[in-house]
Amino acid sequence: MASQESDRIAAPLANRVATDANAAQIADAMVATWREIDAALTPIIGSQGVVALYKRSLYLTGTAHPWLAGMHEGAQAAIDLAALKSIVAQQSSADAALGGNALLQTFYQLLGSLVGPSLTERLLRSVWADSLSGPPAQDTTR
Amino acid sequence: MTTKVTINRLATGVPGLDEVLGGGLPEFSFNLIAGPPGCGKTTLAHQIMFALATPERPALYFTVLGEPPLKMLRYQQQFDFFDSETINRSIRFINLSDETQEGDLDKVLRRIGAEVEAQGPGLVFVDSFRSVVIADRTEGHSHRNLQQFVQQLGMLMTSWQATTFLIGEYFTEIDANPVFTVADGLIWLRQSVQRNSMVRKLEIMKMRGQPTLPGLHTFRIGSAGLEVFPPAGLAAAAGMQASAPAADARLRTGVPSLDRMLGGGVPRGYSVLVAGPSGSGKSILAAAFLAEGARCGETGVVAVFEQHPRRSRNRVLAGLIDSGRIGLVDSRAPDLSIDEIVLLLMSEISRLKASRVVIDSLSGFELALAPTFREDFRESLSRLVTALAAAGVTVMMTSELEDRYTDLRFSPYGTAFLTDAIIVQRYIEVDSRLLRVMAVVKVRASAHSDELRVFSIDDDGIHVGERLTDQEGLLGGRPTRKPAAGRPRPAAGADDG
Repeated sequence: MASQESDRIAAPLANRVATDANAAQIADAMVATWREIDAALTPIIGSQGVVALYKRSLYLTGTAHPWLAGMHEGAQAAIDLAALKSIVAQQSSADAALGGNALLQTFYQLLGSLVGPSLTERLLRSVWADSLSGPPAQDTTR
Repeated sequence: MTTKVTINRLATGVPGLDEVLGGGLPEFSFNLIAGPPGCGKTTLAHQIMFALATPERPALYFTVLGEPPLKMLRYQQQFDFFDSETINRSIRFINLSDETQEGDLDKVLRRIGAEVEAQGPGLVFVDSFRSVVIADRTEGHSHRNLQQFVQQLGMLMTSWQATTFLIGEYFTEIDANPVFTVADGLIWLRQSVQRNSMVRKLEIMKMRGQPTLPGLHTFRIGSAGLEVFPPAGLAAAAGMQASAPAADARLRTGVPSLDRMLGGGVPRGYSVLVAGPSGSGKSILAAAFLAEGARCGETGVVAVFEQHPRRSRNRVLAGLIDSGRIGLVDSRAPDLSIDEIVLLLMSEISRLKASRVVIDSLSGFELALAPTFREDFRESLSRLVTALAAAGVTVMMTSELEDRYTDLRFSPYGTAFLTDAIIVQRYIEVDSRLLRVMAVVKVRASAHSDELRVFSIDDDGIHVGERLTDQEGLLGGRPTRKPAAGRPRPAAGADDG
């Protein structure tokens, strides 16, 4: 159950890159995903709200993926995707995929813990729907 | 064909609010929801929005600095009315913090205008308005700017055919704020604090072209959102069809001798006050009244305002409550208002089509009311009795009465005049026993007994005995045996105290 849930949450990334993608490709996919998340959420919760959630997610993910640690430091007016891209590209492809997925999952769960899973799913549906080539996103929710 | 425009009234989806508004919210009106922090403005706005927004009439909710939208969503999504599926479909949230941070009201207005143009909403919310004002850093003339802002916004929205809500904070009522002039509707929320009780109240200070209900209306916020309690009389009118009582129809009380004393039972539709000291048997009489109704196939409602309603209930009544024949109104919610109690009673009465109602007791009822209403207790009680009378039910109310043997009183609070009939119970001392006596003091427009009768209570209920014809001075509490011819005066008889 839990792994299905995390698979689904990680879907945007998994559906954007091939299984044998290198770190640079993963970095591009991550940037694209985060751009969509930013676009979906900023009009609603404001750019400051998105940045705050993004930084908290980095902080939480950094404990298990040390290469992400420290990324949340410093003031940001918007999500610093250039920094994310460059650090992801420096990892091995396995680490990049693991860390990238973990970051997405953490963000999704963080938002869910704040505004509830149902609203979270609704707010981020477009991001997930775009990235899924298979069945539509809403079918995987139950 | 009429040449006048009919203004549609929108149902707000907030229970009781449409009545208070005088029939709903006028379409395309420009409204202000004002009040201090924490009084429920944002919740009211959301509840109205979720009720009214449809794909044909989408809503835009502009969040302006103030409360971070993430937090607002976190708390609002808890409410039952919050339907996530409508977000980004018929409801769109738009955060304006970037525009407001720059402190340029014109820019905020332009952005709102652009979004309205792009989305064509039928409903627009701006939350909160105070943040707009504070953000206005264009030197000095904030009042003039504000007025301009509101006027322009009002003009924009009305011509775009959108029903608009500004959510504002910290307005003072005395302050002749220009915003008040521009707004079509002004909904003011308050928290009235007295001692350590808090009661939420709402007032429609203005609603153009609507017969609103004047005054402060209490409301409560629960998991379903706001519930407004319109004045008691109105709830009754909207309630039920009084089952056209035959004027001379009488209800049996369950105590046959008492029925005879009452002149044949309680006239239908009457309110009866049973007054007596603690333990005299008021609740037992009230329970008998309900049980007799149930026996005759009638339903009833009992409102208890005691600490442990189940424990104090007598067995028969508890059984009837469990079987659903008798409805129980047992609100332990703190700080009740009279309107809320009447609403609770009325909904039970109409649910069960009840004809008998018991309020046990008025003393507990007074304690259950929020302190702010206690000063007007008599007035509240009068509204309650009026509302119940309008519903056509027969009411029995119990009232604790301190036994004072120096005067003959029937009720505290001077409530006696409100009721149609009064039964009084007293303790008397005879032969070193505490006996109970009962009398019918009043039955409006009906002959009734003037006897003071002894009664006893056992497992089967109340048994009314005879008059104590050989005693006198019963109401003094310590009667004396009348000197009777041929009977020796008892040695240990009462002295003349």
